[in-house]
Amino acid sequence: MALLEVGDLVVRFRTHEGTIHAVNGISFELERGERLGIVGESGCGKSVTNLAIMRLLPKPAGRIEGGSIRFDGIELVGLPESDMRDLRGREIAMIFQDPMTSLNPVLTIEEQMVETIRAHRKVSRDEARRRAVDLLATVGIPRPEQRLKAFPHQFSGGMRQRVMIAMALALEPKLMIADEPTTALDVTIQAQVLELLHRLTTEAGTSLVLITHDLGVVAGMTQRINVMYAGFIVETATTADLFERPSHPYTVGLLHSIPRLDEDEPEPLIPIEGTPPDQRRAPVGCPFAPRCAWRLDVCWDVMPPLDPILGAAPDGRVTATGPNATHRVACHNPPTADEAEAGRPLRPGFVAAPPPGGAAPVAVTDALPSEVESVAPEVAEATDVTTPGGRAPDARP
Amino acid sequence: MLKYLVRRLLAAIPVLLGLSVVLFAFVHLLPGDPVAALLGQHATPELTAQIREQLGLNKPLYEQYVIYLGQLLSGDLGKSVINNRSVVSELALRFPGTIELTGAALVFAIGLGIPLGRLAARHAQGWTDGVVTVISLLGISIPIFILGYTLQFFLSVQLKWLPTSGRLDPRTHLDAVTNFMLVDSLLAGRLDVFVDAVKHLILPAIALGSIPLAIITRITRAAVLDVANEDYVRTARAKGLSERRVDDRHVMRNAWLPVVTVIGLQVGGLLAGAVITETVFSWNGVGRYVVEAIQDHDYLVVQSTILVFALIFLAVNLLVDVGYAFLNPRIRFS
Amino acid sequence: MATATAPLGRPLTVTSSARVSRGLWHDALRRLLRNRPALVGLAVILVFVAAAILAPLIAPGDPLAGKLVDRIKPPGGLHPMGTDLQGRDVLTRILYGARISLLVGIVSVGLGVTMGGLIGAVAGAFGGKVDTVLMRVVDVLLAIPGILLAIGVVVWLDRGLPQIMFAVALTNAPIFARLLRGSLLALRESDYVVAARSIGASTPRILFRHMLPNALTSVIVAATLALATAIIDVAGLGFLGLGPPDPRTAEWGTMLTDATSFYRQAPWIIFFTGAAISLTAIGFNLVGDGLREALDPRLRH
Repeated sequence: MALLEVGDLVVRFRTHEGTIHAVNGISFELERGERLGIVGESGCGKSVTNLAIMRLLPKPAGRIEGGSIRFDGIELVGLPESDMRDLRGREIAMIFQDPMTSLNPVLTIEEQMVETIRAHRKVSRDEARRRAVDLLATVGIPRPEQRLKAFPHQFSGGMRQRVMIAMALALEPKLMIADEPTTALDVTIQAQVLELLHRLTTEAGTSLVLITHDLGVVAGMTQRINVMYAGFIVETATTADLFERPSHPYTVGLLHSIPRLDEDEPEPLIPIEGTPPDQRRAPVGCPFAPRCAWRLDVCWDVMPPLDPILGAAPDGRVTATGPNATHRVACHNPPTADEAEAGRPLRPGFVAAPPPGGAAPVAVTDALPSEVESVAPEVAEATDVTTPGGRAPDARP
Repeated sequence: MLKYLVRRLLAAIPVLLGLSVVLFAFVHLLPGDPVAALLGQHATPELTAQIREQLGLNKPLYEQYVIYLGQLLSGDLGKSVINNRSVVSELALRFPGTIELTGAALVFAIGLGIPLGRLAARHAQGWTDGVVTVISLLGISIPIFILGYTLQFFLSVQLKWLPTSGRLDPRTHLDAVTNFMLVDSLLAGRLDVFVDAVKHLILPAIALGSIPLAIITRITRAAVLDVANEDYVRTARAKGLSERRVDDRHVMRNAWLPVVTVIGLQVGGLLAGAVITETVFSWNGVGRYVVEAIQDHDYLVVQSTILVFALIFLAVNLLVDVGYAFLNPRIRFS
Repeated sequence: MATATAPLGRPLTVTSSARVSRGLWHDALRRLLRNRPALVGLAVILVFVAAAILAPLIAPGDPLAGKLVDRIKPPGGLHPMGTDLQGRDVLTRILYGARISLLVGIVSVGLGVTMGGLIGAVAGAFGGKVDTVLMRVVDVLLAIPGILLAIGVVVWLDRGLPQIMFAVALTNAPIFARLLRGSLLALRESDYVVAARSIGASTPRILFRHMLPNALTSVIVAATLALATAIIDVAGLGFLGLGPPDPRTAEWGTMLTDATSFYRQAPWIIFFTGAAISLTAIGFNLVGDGLREALDPRLRH
């Protein structure tokens, strides 16, 4: 039995502006000690998936509307809140993106660490404090005894994220979820924090889910990767397989939009055209179709299942986890190895299928989010024209 | 922290000086002959001479101001032109009443406003929230004098649950020690008088406290909703803390900051409101003293009382700054 | 906001600036009209404005003179809100009182916005020493709690409607001075004012074309809410005996003072007059809150 088994998870947000289809039936598993990356653009559902696992979706809008989440054999969907609370922090810990805002500014580090420990273990305040000192030392904070008395604003961003890691590890959780843990940090600090996270989870045998939009971050950190797009897992493979043989047009696009510094002749970057779909509409067909160069007619109507790529599962058996995990992709027309390398379809005469009804693809899907829509469209236009860098200083959506 | 406080203290000095100039001008630049204006129908040759002497009106204006400032610094607020009583001793007699009243009003406003605000925030957009919103709308919209008379009419006159006015039953004899009825009654060991004093306090405190109650409720609701969206609250939940602990420790400790600031700002309104409340409930305090002085055209008393009110307001705001700094480690440790 | 386009001097952007402001206001109006409490408030205000304008036409009696035989009549019959000690019709006096309350309220808030706005605009636009001195003045005014300042001014200048207007305006001015200064200081640093300055637009031009329109939204909201307070303060002055010099005047606060001495016998006078004051304040508070939500939806909770 895997540590975490997510099956057909559906998460929706019911808001004034309508229903947002955030996660549209995804399934994946995670073994004990395994490190999984979840990659995708912002809004692709990667953070929502993990908030759903923690059952911390923003209330009352966010709801798990289908599927199951089994953690260590326990079904989390529908688990009473008190039992769930018992798991949070103790069995599943989470680190968030912005260490500047994730620690409470009016409480000392000591108060925040001690309360975490004492929420789950019946230990004295002194014992909890000793444990906190050890933890701070472990994550490389100098003079932990004194620093324990400090407030978050007295730490740098990198140090705060170390505190967050120490706090997350305080109860030796079985699963650690790190949501963009280094995005808000200086580049020089990023590597240190990632290295720390890697080392500590490996030493403790803690499973790790690392959420990021940055393929460079997951490359050295994880053993497997789920690529998410518009609330779907569109490709999943071991990290090595994914970089070796990206098989979804979106993954190909992601790989071509990051600079490769390790090659002698840098390839030109190919940005992914267009924007992610409007998730206020129930998904029809493949959500990536409007931006896809490989799309077929069928892509507009039918969402392809997540199936093994050619030759990945000769006997038809799919392995979900581990170093031999089956490389699977949700695509009707996966790019070939050569095409993946080139970043575009190479078949002679191939043209991406036009959208049904002949409307321009961008116009179909590129609807603005509702808040922006409610502002007169001229505002966006005018501010774009007139402010340096197109930033709207006073755009009031 | 200390530097911060010293800076706040220093910032109050120009305000105090400015205030003294304004109040000096208030009396010395009264339209027409100030002494005639000051004395009005009370003018007699002796009194006129005495006031001229007291104000030093024969000297140049700046010199008069320096004298005035010197008097203020030595704690001399002058004498009433009507009854020749020292303003300082009159204030000492009446201030306890005003402090008791505004204090009770503040306790009422905070004690009810914060729970109401939290309740509304917890059920934001629900019917509880709606009820709380209506209460706070009424609180800021109904003037003190109307709420005061309404409460008095129904609860005192009609239902006779509470006394109509005053600070104590007029038949009670109580030795004045501090002039705080709540304190003096206990000092005299008279629990019945204490209860009576509390009963007299209830209606005026509600009337006076209704506006701060409304404002504190609103700001608490907004602050709690604001803080509830912060990342660190999500962190606290992710650590597996109970909802109650998340609320009390992580949400409220931060939500207090704007609430404390607003409470400080309410004190000015409370002092001003005391003027009206004391009139409605015949409450023997500084507010009524001012109104009587206005009716008697006793400008010196009006001037000195406004000054004292302003001093209290500034002092309370300084106190609030200290409280704010104490609650906010970003200021305490910088 | 779109006004940032103007200094680029392109005709195209000038038109787009006009269109954008219209879009913003149009949008705010739409949100306001969807806000039911604000509409209720607006209706209440309109009723009182209509009452004030039409008072001579619709009032059943004479606001100043009454017959002694009619004194202290409870509500009913010819006097739907009863009569007062002098036998005057309370409804009539409330209708006429609306004229004074609304007029004094609007004029004093208008004057307060102008005075405070001017101080704040100058302080915020120039900064430095000018700012420091002006803000100290504002601090002094703010240190004297609200109605006490008004009391002081009316006592000093003697009773009368213009004096009351000025007194209430003076209590409002510091609030608007701070508000405008605050928005201007924030805007001074914003990208598009920096942009306008960097291409050499003059200070008054930047102030009037770019900064003031932006600060306007918060001033409008605060002014609407201040109307509620002003009407209460004016009534408060009247209640303390500092109303219009003619004691017969139909002014809500003065009417209350008259009524308090015999309110056990005639509670309806306080009830109806109090309801008029409170309803007007409720109206302005509802509209003010609605405007705030409409003009700054980020604040919506």
